[in-house]
Amino acid sequence: MANELLAEQISKEYEYGFVTDIESENAPKGLNEDIIRFISKKKNEPQWMLDYRLKAYRYWLTLEEPHWAHVTYPKPDFQNIIYYSVPKQKKQLNSLDEVDPELLKTYEKLGISMEEQKRLSGVESRIAVDFVMDSVSVKTTFKETLAEKGIIFCSFGEAVQEHPELIKKYMGSVVPYADNFYAALNSAVFTDGSFCYIPKGVRCPMELSTYFRINSAGTGQFERTLIVADEDSYVSYLEGCTAPMRDENQLHAAVVEIVAHKNGEVKYSTVQNWYPGDKNGKGGIFNFVTKRGICLEDNSKISWTQVETGSAVTWKYPSVILKGDNSVGEFYSVAVTNNYQQADTGTKMMHLGKNTRSTIISKGISAGFSNNSYRGLVRISKGATNARNFSQCDSLLMGDKCGAHTYPYIEIKDKSGIVEHEATTSKIGEDQLFYCKSRGIDNEKAIGLIVNGYCKEVLNKLPMEFAVEAQKLLAVSLEGSVG
Amino acid sequence: METAIKKNTITDKLLAEFEASKPALFGDLSLREEAMRSFLKQGIPNRKSEEYKYVNIDAMLKGEFSFFTYRPLMVKQISNTRFLKGAINIVLVNGRCEEKLSDMTSFPKGLEIGYIADASFNEVFQKHFSKYADINTDAFIALNTALANGGAFIHVAKGAVIESPIHLINISSAEESTFVNSRNLIVVEENAQVKLIESFESVDCTAKTFTNSITEMVVEAGAIVDYTKIENENEQGYLINTTQVYQKEKSVVTANTITLSGSFVRNNLNVALDGEHIETHLNGLYLTNENQVVDNHTLVDHRKPNCNSNELYKGIIEDKSSATFNGKIFVRIDAQKTNAFQSNKNILLSDEGTINTKPQLEIYADDVKCSHGTSTGKLDADKIFYLRARGLSEISAKKLLMHAFASEVVDAIKIESLREYIEEKISKRFE
Repeated sequence: MANELLAEQISKEYEYGFVTDIESENAPKGLNEDIIRFISKKKNEPQWMLDYRLKAYRYWLTLEEPHWAHVTYPKPDFQNIIYYSVPKQKKQLNSLDEVDPELLKTYEKLGISMEEQKRLSGVESRIAVDFVMDSVSVKTTFKETLAEKGIIFCSFGEAVQEHPELIKKYMGSVVPYADNFYAALNSAVFTDGSFCYIPKGVRCPMELSTYFRINSAGTGQFERTLIVADEDSYVSYLEGCTAPMRDENQLHAAVVEIVAHKNGEVKYSTVQNWYPGDKNGKGGIFNFVTKRGICLEDNSKISWTQVETGSAVTWKYPSVILKGDNSVGEFYSVAVTNNYQQADTGTKMMHLGKNTRSTIISKGISAGFSNNSYRGLVRISKGATNARNFSQCDSLLMGDKCGAHTYPYIEIKDKSGIVEHEATTSKIGEDQLFYCKSRGIDNEKAIGLIVNGYCKEVLNKLPMEFAVEAQKLLAVSLEGSVG
Repeated sequence: METAIKKNTITDKLLAEFEASKPALFGDLSLREEAMRSFLKQGIPNRKSEEYKYVNIDAMLKGEFSFFTYRPLMVKQISNTRFLKGAINIVLVNGRCEEKLSDMTSFPKGLEIGYIADASFNEVFQKHFSKYADINTDAFIALNTALANGGAFIHVAKGAVIESPIHLINISSAEESTFVNSRNLIVVEENAQVKLIESFESVDCTAKTFTNSITEMVVEAGAIVDYTKIENENEQGYLINTTQVYQKEKSVVTANTITLSGSFVRNNLNVALDGEHIETHLNGLYLTNENQVVDNHTLVDHRKPNCNSNELYKGIIEDKSSATFNGKIFVRIDAQKTNAFQSNKNILLSDEGTINTKPQLEIYADDVKCSHGTSTGKLDADKIFYLRARGLSEISAKKLLMHAFASEVVDAIKIESLREYIEEKISKRFE
């Protein structure tokens, strides 16, 4: 039974593996200071931005690739990557009709058609979307509606031009270029991304969303996202990603920074579905991402929710620095690995302020020949009185060729801190299956039911608009592989 | 650059000591040389090495060290350390077996105890020595394998049931800073049963003692071993204590590690479960205060199916002390139907204290039940209130709660007189 289902799943093809036939303008392969100057010039950037990039690049040269994660992969050849790839477009787009129809088709295939967005524009629940293809933001919807509220939501490149003071103030304040190997690389060569600023007292009326897609061959994607929630503001932000099927491994090294001011709240949700490689582990995206938020002032809150189903190798730890008193950090994650996928993911909760609270719920599911690791750090610093953390990391194993691992680090330096961590690893309980089956539910449905229940705690945290897509994705990744 | 020079000096000193002591070393010299090469390759671990992330070994190894370990002690001086009633006491001073201080006259049938150096021509020794503690996994294992010049050899014959507990008393005693490498080999043959206690004490010790001790223990099929370690050195004591247990099918091992004092205690307790239907119980208690650093590393390596392991470590951290718990459950691809549990609980009593805990699961088999849990907190205010409402003072309420917290581990100790001894030590500590 299990083997049949597994075989079925293994034969399942990646559904988003199409290539969009759009002409793109690429930089030559390789990385040197000229390429960085080229990117900067293409993007018409001010001198300070170029200086920042070069500083990051020179620092990056001194670094060595890190190897501590529980993953193995061929070392990316950083000279064999195209660092700048733009879908060709003639002029600034004013309406959706002017977007290349091929591109629109791409997004329709992804199930997030912009047409639908248009049609839904009368409805209350709407999503503003920023599309990033290869390295460059293609189109941001609902910009005007948002502008009325004073919300800035645009591509990173635009923000550098139009809001340099905000970029200067916040960029690198959470993830400095010297943070790690891939953050330094990103700081040097990032091409675009999204920027979002919610002014004081504004509750963002719609979900903001970025869709990332790697399209061209041989490119790497290096985008940056910066979200700033000013005092008493709230925003829910969604991120989704897909890539075509290619035999080569493509590198995705993004940086996401979140700043929450007093009473500000940011909810960041990701559905990551980069191409995971074929059933023999060939190809697929290397997803090496640095994501970090800071609860800068009192009573702020940052919440990460992620559904990780794609990528050949995932290596990311969305973190929260709880600096303000009474601030709250949350991390909800479902990570699914199949075939030869490898994931080393988790979170860091750094408690600095008083009465700070954090919650970590991580659900790992491994199938096939994959390895799925949770790695997390909870640090309660001296002076972080009455800090509280609760962590729960569960792993589900499907098949006897996969691995599930848990590596939590807990460091406590304050006597009033209370930290709890629990983790379990098991397969689906025979008794649970028996219970369902004795009530007339067939094996596969019973498994579906149990897995759904297993992930529910996390899926419930996703915004409504995203939950549907996430469930669809989980179904694709999991259907039949359980047993 | 400066630190590099320092690092070199201690490594150089160790190398010089190795060259000088070579002719006197017991056992196979080529193994010793290989171990030394491995040590030189690995170097003294620093804070960048994942396994020694929370301790600063470099700082502990600063200054001059003597490798001359002989200390003449009188029976009277060590009488306090012979605390177990009815036990067979073996006294090792700085790793050297002291026959006149030990009960080495007659042993029960099936039991053989001797100096490790004397045993080196023994068949059993040659079959097992250095087969379990892998020199390439830890610099201190390599160093010990190269330099070890003392320790005990214990052999329990097939089917022998040894009623009296065997008490290995490790005494640190020095007037100038001393580096000790001591090595024990314990072989328990099929269906044998034995109770072992290893205690670490300081006697007439006025200078730093850095003890790098390794115990290799082989537990053959169906054997039952009850093993308790008590670490009770003074503030001059620095101790790296590696225990490598190798279990065959249907054997049962209980290992209790009680850390009471000593400036620095590092316990590496590695258990390999290489057979079916094995049971392993690991219990640990660490009560730290002042500037103590206690670092407990455990590895439970499930190699075969149908085994059970259970681990409970508890700690109370006071003053500026720091405690680390790093436990790993490793389930190999063939080890189906494994049940492995791990729990680590800590109470932090001061703002200067630190707790680092890293409970890990690394699992490659699917039909398993593995879990770990860890919690760190303060004494429960509700419980204190409950006791105070019944007339207890705040201090005695707290003492009672701490005692209750510790007793979960202490209760697991089966030898009654030993349990009483430890309880008495704990009571004294909380006074």
